[in-house]
Amino acid sequence: MEIKITDNSLRLFLETPVSPEELAQKISLCGPTFDKIDKIDNDYVYDIEIITNRIDTASAQGIARDSAAILNQMGIKSTFKNDPYGEKVENYSNLPKSFSFEFCQDNLSSRFVAVSLENVNIKDSPEETKQLLSLCGLRPINNAVDITNELTILYGMPSHIFDLDKLASQKLTVRESKKGESITTLDNKKNLLQGGDIVIEDGAGRIVDLCGVMGGITAEVDKYTKNILLVVPVYNPNKIRKTSICLQNRSLAAQIYEKQPDLELCLPVLTKAIKLFSERSKARVSSSIFDYYPNPQINKEIILNLDWVNSEIGVEIPNQEVISILESLGFLIKKQGKNEIICTVPSWRYFDINIKEDLIEEIARVYGYFKLPAKLPCVNLLPEQKNILFKTESKIKNYLFNQGFNEVYNSSLISENLITKTELHPAEHLKLENALSKDLEYLRLSLVPSLLQNIKNNQGKSDEPFSLFELSNIYQPTKEKLPLEISNSVFVSTIDYPHLKGTLEALLLHLNIKPFVFQPASNPPTYYQQGYTAEIISDNKVQGFIGQIKPTILHKIGITSNPTVVELNNVILIDSILENFIYQPISEYPEVIEQLTISSNLPLGKIIEKIQSTSKIINKISYTNSYNGNHSFKITFSSPIKNLTQLEVNEIKNRILTLFN
Amino acid sequence: MAINYKETIREVKKSLSRDLSKVKTADDLEQINIKYLGRQGEVNLLFKTLPIKDDSNIGKAINELKDYCKQEITSRLNILLEIKSDPIFDVTVPGIQPPKGSLHLITHAINEIESIFSQLGFVRRRYPEVETDWYYAEGLNIPKGHPARDDQETFYLSKEIVLTAHTSNGQLREMEKVKNPPIKMVNIGKTYRRQADTSHSAMFHQFEGLLIDKNINITHLIGVMDYFAKAYFGNDREIRLRPHHFQFTEPSFEIDISCGLCHGKGIIEKLPCKFCKSGWLELGGSGMVHPNVLKNGGIDPKIFSGFAFGWGVERVLMMKSGLNLPDLRLLYTDDLRFLKQF
Repeated sequence: MEIKITDNSLRLFLETPVSPEELAQKISLCGPTFDKIDKIDNDYVYDIEIITNRIDTASAQGIARDSAAILNQMGIKSTFKNDPYGEKVENYSNLPKSFSFEFCQDNLSSRFVAVSLENVNIKDSPEETKQLLSLCGLRPINNAVDITNELTILYGMPSHIFDLDKLASQKLTVRESKKGESITTLDNKKNLLQGGDIVIEDGAGRIVDLCGVMGGITAEVDKYTKNILLVVPVYNPNKIRKTSICLQNRSLAAQIYEKQPDLELCLPVLTKAIKLFSERSKARVSSSIFDYYPNPQINKEIILNLDWVNSEIGVEIPNQEVISILESLGFLIKKQGKNEIICTVPSWRYFDINIKEDLIEEIARVYGYFKLPAKLPCVNLLPEQKNILFKTESKIKNYLFNQGFNEVYNSSLISENLITKTELHPAEHLKLENALSKDLEYLRLSLVPSLLQNIKNNQGKSDEPFSLFELSNIYQPTKEKLPLEISNSVFVSTIDYPHLKGTLEALLLHLNIKPFVFQPASNPPTYYQQGYTAEIISDNKVQGFIGQIKPTILHKIGITSNPTVVELNNVILIDSILENFIYQPISEYPEVIEQLTISSNLPLGKIIEKIQSTSKIINKISYTNSYNGNHSFKITFSSPIKNLTQLEVNEIKNRILTLFN
Repeated sequence: MAINYKETIREVKKSLSRDLSKVKTADDLEQINIKYLGRQGEVNLLFKTLPIKDDSNIGKAINELKDYCKQEITSRLNILLEIKSDPIFDVTVPGIQPPKGSLHLITHAINEIESIFSQLGFVRRRYPEVETDWYYAEGLNIPKGHPARDDQETFYLSKEIVLTAHTSNGQLREMEKVKNPPIKMVNIGKTYRRQADTSHSAMFHQFEGLLIDKNINITHLIGVMDYFAKAYFGNDREIRLRPHHFQFTEPSFEIDISCGLCHGKGIIEKLPCKFCKSGWLELGGSGMVHPNVLKNGGIDPKIFSGFAFGWGVERVLMMKSGLNLPDLRLLYTDDLRFLKQF
């Protein structure tokens, strides 16, 4: 969270010679980060990023304590002063007013202190207070409300005031809201509650406070107010967070409460408030102090071995320095033996410091991270086996990129609309429970729909042909808890089928895959058009598909060209890759090349397969062209052991021709 | 009848110089070469007419004729080769390029990240992007009700299954896989966050480093972070650590890198640098692995310690000087006019 405090308010608690700029720079290295300083009038405003677990620093007092420790360690003599925990709490008794709070559940508040005040004179706050609030981004309202806001800035503990005379009875109830209840808050907004929010009911069924977030308008303190009920509570952080997020009301109080401020700070702040009310509005305490504190904190102690501290941080820090750093942060230290200390955690760090590693952080940051050297660790590792999937993915990417294909990264989340357009079934996909939008709702089962969308999106913007590819996981639901995440490659192009198929074949050769064939696909994925799609078979497994997309799908997406799409399952593919090269001896005898025309209705793949099967000395079959069912090939014959005679070649040619009679 | 060799040789020479004067191309010259010096050429024919009882002078004269022809033809060839047939050959003619392919910027970045960590001996891994509650949160010391498990910021498939918003699930997965440290891995994968604006895309990429061994301390974390920062961004860059908080590391740090534009000064020509916060840029989080996380991964925190970091691929990519992408979401456009640039 971000807070704003002023330099003047910080120096109420900190005696130091450093300038605001220097202070900001130095503290940022070892404590909370000062994002910005603005000089305004005769003061400076700091924007400070509070680290999530350091809610104790979300105030002038908290920043001052950390700063004093840090600056002293840097050799700049500084003092933390006006410690609120040193404040004497008065005991008020025999006073006329009495009120009570009933807590319906014990998980609503861990401490709740309250007092009533009479004879309140509502007017404007002193100029100084108004300026402090304005500089910190809060609007001055009146002397009473401003006191609670000022105390939040100074001590990091929110408080709230009710006009006591506007409450129906003095018996108040702190309870969870029921779904459908509502409250109009001080910002004049009507909030419909979802149930489970902490609220205060005033005895007449009216909700008077949306606890920890914002007060209700019913018991608002206004210029006629004479009697005030002042409360300084600490609420259940999770409930406050839920309410604040659901109602989108991120008040400063809510941001503090959701990180659980110090329970021991309630009384000191109440005492400060009473003092200010008396000074600024002549108010008097009219009740004894109500203090609900069902489980008072007990001391938390952590034993720390000082040798271990040095080995964890990696440098030698003298024992005395370690102790003085911890003491300056409020830890009580007792020595135990030569190298051990017992550290008692201060109340304001009660929820944040739990284990000895937490103390390492405190020691190291105040000592100065910037003083630690950079060292590369020497780790004795065994050599790692090659990861063939990563290697193959990288080869595919580099090959396609070198062939003029452009890589695209699409979101793994797609819309129901795109799924149905490609005739896939939304029900077979994994669906988000809490999607952000309809466009990003389902996890992809195939990369193809996204790439078809990519083609459509580029139409009219760039010159065709488009050649695109993507490598990514698809997410296949299983009976287990987790889906299968399968690495896929898809490449699409608006160049013609033979060219794309050629690229695919060359890619497979480049990957050194076992021998492969293409067969008309009997059951291709839904978006492929049957009869225009082949399966790629190698190692007796379907490695993927190449084919054209159903015209109805092209039409639905709005694609005007006729792209060819290759889809490969990389996980199956890597199982069929030959990891090592195998040397084939080069024949010393010349090749014989012959033209051959075959008349057949078989697919070319089958014809070539049949030609190949006739003889071992057929070295290469190149397809030339086809005309009216006549297919021309150039066939290369060669033998590794002898010169071929024309007679031998003719004999094989005749055998081939008889195959197709 | 006896041949007048002297006369004949003179004739051959004359005929050769006549023929040579008509030669225009190397092919023409080859024909002349065959006519005079070929197997059936004039010179050879003369040799064949030599009487059996040789007059050595004649033989010598024919040999000289042969050398003469060779010389004449060669010198003519040299002249021919010097003359280029196309006097207006334009070396600036536009080349015919194969189509321009491209790798995506994220691929470029991942390759670079992988190779830097590989130099340090980190092994690349890939762990689930859809993950159970345990690996994603509970096992990483993030208790139920913690904001990091909020369905406001994380995508859920069901109560227990999330789309990972960080790659840190790889920490527990790696500990379970390796069992006995040392561990040195970098897990690179897709991550998802339930938000989208100019600086966030719902899907992005992270790389998660993890090193566990005996006697690993904060100075080693600084060493590795510093090596990466210098290798990726340049040797003139510095890093610094600031206190931070993560549930699965203790202590936790925010790593900053000195700004490449103002060189860590925060000021350019007396004006505040627009690229950074007073001289430094946030790189990402890191920290010493929390003892609970080590325990959850089956590793004894009394014997081993380690550090981890999880940074955004897009973030380091965008921070690399010179790229000047105004909006992170541009990385997820499919516009070829963008893609073809890289």
